[in-house]
Amino acid sequence: MDPRIARPTIAAAVVLALIVPIVIAAGLLVRGYTRAAFQNEQDATAMRAVAFNALRYQLDEETGVRGYAATRDRTYLEPYDTGRALLPATLRRLREDARRLQLDAAAARIDDARRTSERWNATVARPLLAHRAGAPALQLRGKALMDAYRDDMEVVQEAIDARKRQLDAATEAAIDRLNLFVALVASAVVGLGIVFGVQQFRLAAVLAAKQREAAELTAAYQTEKRLAERLQDAFVQRPLPVLPAVSFSATYVPATEESKVGGDWYDGVELARERVMFVIGDVAGHGLEAAVAMNRARQALVSAAVVDPDPAQLLARVNAELLDQRARMVTAVCGYADARTFEFVYATAGHPPPVLVEPGRPPRMLECGGLPLAVVEEAQYRSHTVQTVPGAMLVLYTDGAVEHSRDVIAGEQTLLAAVSAAIDGNTPNPAAAIHSAIFDSRSVGDDVAIMTVSFMPGAGASGEPAGTATIVAAGARGTPEGVRGTVVSLAARLRRAARPGRRDGVRIAS
Amino acid sequence: MNEQSSYRVIRLHGELDLARRDEIAAALQVHGPGAALLVDLSDVQYADSTIIAELLRFRGEAASAGRRFALLLSAHDRRLRRVLDYAALGDAFALFDDRGAALTYLSAPA
Repeated sequence: MDPRIARPTIAAAVVLALIVPIVIAAGLLVRGYTRAAFQNEQDATAMRAVAFNALRYQLDEETGVRGYAATRDRTYLEPYDTGRALLPATLRRLREDARRLQLDAAAARIDDARRTSERWNATVARPLLAHRAGAPALQLRGKALMDAYRDDMEVVQEAIDARKRQLDAATEAAIDRLNLFVALVASAVVGLGIVFGVQQFRLAAVLAAKQREAAELTAAYQTEKRLAERLQDAFVQRPLPVLPAVSFSATYVPATEESKVGGDWYDGVELARERVMFVIGDVAGHGLEAAVAMNRARQALVSAAVVDPDPAQLLARVNAELLDQRARMVTAVCGYADARTFEFVYATAGHPPPVLVEPGRPPRMLECGGLPLAVVEEAQYRSHTVQTVPGAMLVLYTDGAVEHSRDVIAGEQTLLAAVSAAIDGNTPNPAAAIHSAIFDSRSVGDDVAIMTVSFMPGAGASGEPAGTATIVAAGARGTPEGVRGTVVSLAARLRRAARPGRRDGVRIAS
Repeated sequence: MNEQSSYRVIRLHGELDLARRDEIAAALQVHGPGAALLVDLSDVQYADSTIIAELLRFRGEAASAGRRFALLLSAHDRRLRRVLDYAALGDAFALFDDRGAALTYLSAPA
């Protein structure tokens, strides 16, 4: 999980873990409090009913006694008897309720009422029930006592009502507090939810933006890489000329690292049946820009080759042209191979030197020197002419072939050894064989291009077609791609011819 | 920097390639004290053609500013010299593998 999402989630869990017990505890507290208030309120309601009964029984008694006194009809005594039976218990209960609800003033009035009731019973009810004499006076006294009793009961009822109102208010307050508490908890939960929600939303937006950005960058990068590769493929894989007298082989291996599509290239151009122009070069840097710069340099060099037969002048011309275009620095080797004279003429511009392989001799580095192209206006170049023999091969390469170990002196030795191994292996593609010999056990950290230009063994000024058995040259190696069809059968003969002990015996026919 | 003989030493180290071009360009500045400039590459183990381009730029700037400059290479490590040979920089620069000889060259009258 992304830490930016995980952190608020953990915070939310902690807050919830704290809130839940607090909510439960507070809820229990409020519930207990509310229940107590509610119980008291119910008690008060019940007590009010008891007080009402206490008043009713007494008034019923009094009414019954007066009715009996007036009519001597015993049926009037029924309410009196009921009251007598129930009133004491009712008053006791009322007294008990008053104590429980802490209605002290009311309790005193209840005691007072009880005494009034007893006095009325003793001094009014009983005499009236016993004899008729003095009835009006007794009745007056009874009325006074009843008024007193009624006053007491009214006070008691008012006290109960007051307490009831008080309890109602308390219950309401408790309910209000409960509501408030619930509202607070709900607000807190909703608030936290909003805060976390907003945070999550913002984080999600940030993450989405980052992902989108990354995707765009990747897409842009992929596009550039694809384009650069396509450009380079299109350029590098331009077919090399296939001629009877001069053959090419080439390999281009891009860097292992994805971002390093470089600016290496090679070209071979047929100028005449027995004359070719060759060039290998390297534009500084990698990527699309390098690929475009490479194409410019390449066009400039090939175009100039058509008009300028001298490699040094050709490089000087291209140097000026690239400087005008404000192009990137380019290193290159370019030159001509002439199968009529077996001459290589070349010039170099800041580029590692070509390797010459002649039949029967170890490969050697040729001379080099000359400033890179597109750096200095007044750069001068020098043409080198190398007189070789049939079967000679020129190996051109880019700096990746010698700088892989970051030690060019060791790299050059490795390259020379690889060239030796490749020609001994009698391969149809010496360039690829040289590359494998160098990099079999190494990763390719930079682009490497290798091209070979070979004179056909025995292809000479006589203009005799290459590949006839009579003109097999001593030590000729390789079966150049350009004449593959002919050479398949020739290769076996070449190998036989190249065996030690046979070399000296075979001579060039001319 | 030595005021008396009025030359400044610019010393580069390690492996110099395209990845360090900006750093190299920043180090190779003509402007500053010292009439003459000694670019000391004797501690450079590896350089690609980037260094060639930067040194050529530096040479042009030094020439415009009328300052002599020399390159000092390691006497026993031929690797960098070989890279410079690819561009025949020996023709374009005063190359030395001896510090004393380089300083003598720099202090000689133009």
